[in-house]
Amino acid sequence: MNYQKVRILKSRLAFIVSTLTALFGIFWLVFIIGDVLIHGIGALNINLFIKDPTPAGVEGGGLRNAFVGHLLITLFATLMGVPIGVLGGTFLAEYARDRRIARFISILSDIMVSVPGLVVGIFVYAILVKPLGHFSGWAGSVALAIIMIPVVLRTTENMLSLVPWTIREAAFALGAPYYKVIIQVVYRGAATGILTGILLSIARVTGEAAPLLFTAFNNPFFSINMNEPMASLTVTIFQYAMGPYDSWHAQAWAGALMITVFILFITLIGRLIIKWRYKR
Amino acid sequence: MMEKALEVKTLNFYYAGKTHALKNINFPVYKNSVTALIGPSGCGKTTLLRCFNRMHDLYPGNRYEGEIIFNGINILSDRIDLIDLRSRIGMVFQKPTPFPMTVFDNIAYGLRLKGIKKRSELSERVEEALKQAALWDEVKDKLHASAYELSGGQQQRLCIARALAVKPEVLLFDEPTSALDPISTGKIEELVIALKKDITIIIVTHNMQQAARVSDWTGFMMLGELIEFGRTDRIFTNPSEKLTEEYITGRFG
Amino acid sequence: MGILYVLFSESSLSIKRFGLLKFITSIDWDPVKESFGAAAALYGTLVTTVLALIIAIPVAIGIAIFVTEVAPNFLRGPVGIAIELLAAIPSIIYGMWGLFTLAPIMAGYVEPFLQKTIGKLPLLSILFEGTPLGIDLFTASTILGIMIIPFTASISREAFALTPFMVKESAYAIGATKWEVVKDVVLPYSKLGVIGGIVISLGRALGETMAVAFVLGNKNQITASLLDAAATVTVKLANEFTEADSDIYLSSLYYLALLLFIMSFLVLAIAKFFLLKAQRRYGG
Repeated sequence: MNYQKVRILKSRLAFIVSTLTALFGIFWLVFIIGDVLIHGIGALNINLFIKDPTPAGVEGGGLRNAFVGHLLITLFATLMGVPIGVLGGTFLAEYARDRRIARFISILSDIMVSVPGLVVGIFVYAILVKPLGHFSGWAGSVALAIIMIPVVLRTTENMLSLVPWTIREAAFALGAPYYKVIIQVVYRGAATGILTGILLSIARVTGEAAPLLFTAFNNPFFSINMNEPMASLTVTIFQYAMGPYDSWHAQAWAGALMITVFILFITLIGRLIIKWRYKR
Repeated sequence: MMEKALEVKTLNFYYAGKTHALKNINFPVYKNSVTALIGPSGCGKTTLLRCFNRMHDLYPGNRYEGEIIFNGINILSDRIDLIDLRSRIGMVFQKPTPFPMTVFDNIAYGLRLKGIKKRSELSERVEEALKQAALWDEVKDKLHASAYELSGGQQQRLCIARALAVKPEVLLFDEPTSALDPISTGKIEELVIALKKDITIIIVTHNMQQAARVSDWTGFMMLGELIEFGRTDRIFTNPSEKLTEEYITGRFG
Repeated sequence: MGILYVLFSESSLSIKRFGLLKFITSIDWDPVKESFGAAAALYGTLVTTVLALIIAIPVAIGIAIFVTEVAPNFLRGPVGIAIELLAAIPSIIYGMWGLFTLAPIMAGYVEPFLQKTIGKLPLLSILFEGTPLGIDLFTASTILGIMIIPFTASISREAFALTPFMVKESAYAIGATKWEVVKDVVLPYSKLGVIGGIVISLGRALGETMAVAFVLGNKNQITASLLDAAATVTVKLANEFTEADSDIYLSSLYYLALLLFIMSFLVLAIAKFFLLKAQRRYGG
């Protein structure tokens, strides 16, 4: 009987430890987000959004160029990456089932997912920046798009495969051509899932800095010319945080806050959509 | 008069969602006999079986009312040591459930839990259990192979041996052959009959013929109630309740 | 595919100059003398990744156990969401937070403390020599570790959930305690999936740039002490790429990137191997 008591004690102990680890994890979450909140809110003011950066060392100035630049880069990245990803996923799920090429693309996609953002940036540098001779917003968007595509492709493929084959058969039986079946029937069924995948991939690339370092580089001035180096929030944060000025640090916190809020927001919406969809 | 191993008294059971799953069950389980529980899907026979080893306690919110008397004690009370109970009342499940370990370690698992560590003692008891489960000859050269290498029927007998190793007084079978082919099914039915001289057995089955083949006593259930209970040969040839007769003759299933 | 080709061609100059073995083992990194070697950077990458994993794996598994077995039902959802949120935080935020908040704490409290305690033990004292400035391998590894936790926990959780409940019930039916069921049934059952997840996390830690760049210092040295600054492949690339002024300099950096790419790829392949094995064994 005594041995049994020991076993029960071990069990309780093990679970106290596991609870502690959970608390440990949540602790960091709260700590980090809390910190970002505290420091970031302190630096938030309307100037941040309206003004451009002042020359180094001069007080004041904002991050307008960075916000706008980041927005533009992400926008174009989405416009480039999402269609390719969705089409690719559709191709895999609908046309290439069980064919060798499907496996090949699938594996390729997996590889691309795991390539570090830095390497993607270097790659794009080599093909877009060096030949053209200058950094550009386009290069940044391409880099981000490369990161987005495999994610969107995977999600699309998964969501489409979830739609039961019988639905497609029913549409065929009614005489619809394949492409119409896909657009009108299959997409509709998988729409929320695909949308969520897109949202999540946007959340992911918004926070990237490494791929932009060598592509869009940075631009202390306001610009909407994608052909020039373009400011982005993340790279600016990098620059400012590592810099010597307190005002820069404060702005970095504020920028970090905005990004974090945005990303968390999108992530939550994405999860909520999934929950809402599948509760029905 | 036959000795009772267990007695169920006014048992009521409620699932967490307030479903009243077992209604006022009363019946005895006699020592060294095979008692079968039959009835249509959803009648509560598995729910009833899982009361005997308090499996329902694994999921929060379930509630028992009434008593099940085992060795003079009500095992539904809060003060019962579940770990000890489960080593006296064992269970074999619907599908073979080998642990991710070798054949030997599977059987020895319950013994190790009890603190038995000596290699020689473990080997002895593992061999004994495997012989009892009519599996020894087939696996004696594979004791240290993974349990997953056995066939389905062998895996199920492995689970029986595993349960037997701790020398329980009662063994509960929950539709043990529903996932097996006819030959394995036959072997396990033989096993059940052979085991009853040492152990008391309660078996749930949706296969009436199986119940008729292996059991001494039968309880027929429907919608959570025990409609009729008695000697197997009497139930199948001369049931007293109309519902029982309709089920037996296949009027509904 | 194109990536491989490009990296290869760009780094060919450097490869020709230095060859493979010498590049990997040489510590030099001198733009002036035009002598480059990857050893220091590789060392840094290795150390930070390994340490990060050491921190992250036990915590992640603990969390996964918590969510699947321990937590009462009402807690499971929120804790799960909390972990997902942690995973969504971009690495640059981790990095920045590391620089402004964690590093000072490390420099002010944790590292001196470690120096006074473990630092006094004979063999381990080398680990903690030097001035605790907070910008060093230790801080970088810690941040990296915290970053990987949610990802690893998530994958482990999914692996655990795949254990068929009937097998778990069988274990309970023999009289096992909850912990015994986890230890002897759930963990062995999901072993392959968990390892696959850990390897993927390894891959991500390898390639992490921003989380580490802020707090590592990019000093090209191999040092035994965790309290010294160092460099990783990623940090080096991030800091020096745009400033490389000579062809050989640039090419060497490409070479580094190539190595990084190959490493990530290998790690991914290993992870896939484990995951596929897990699927095949247990029917997905």
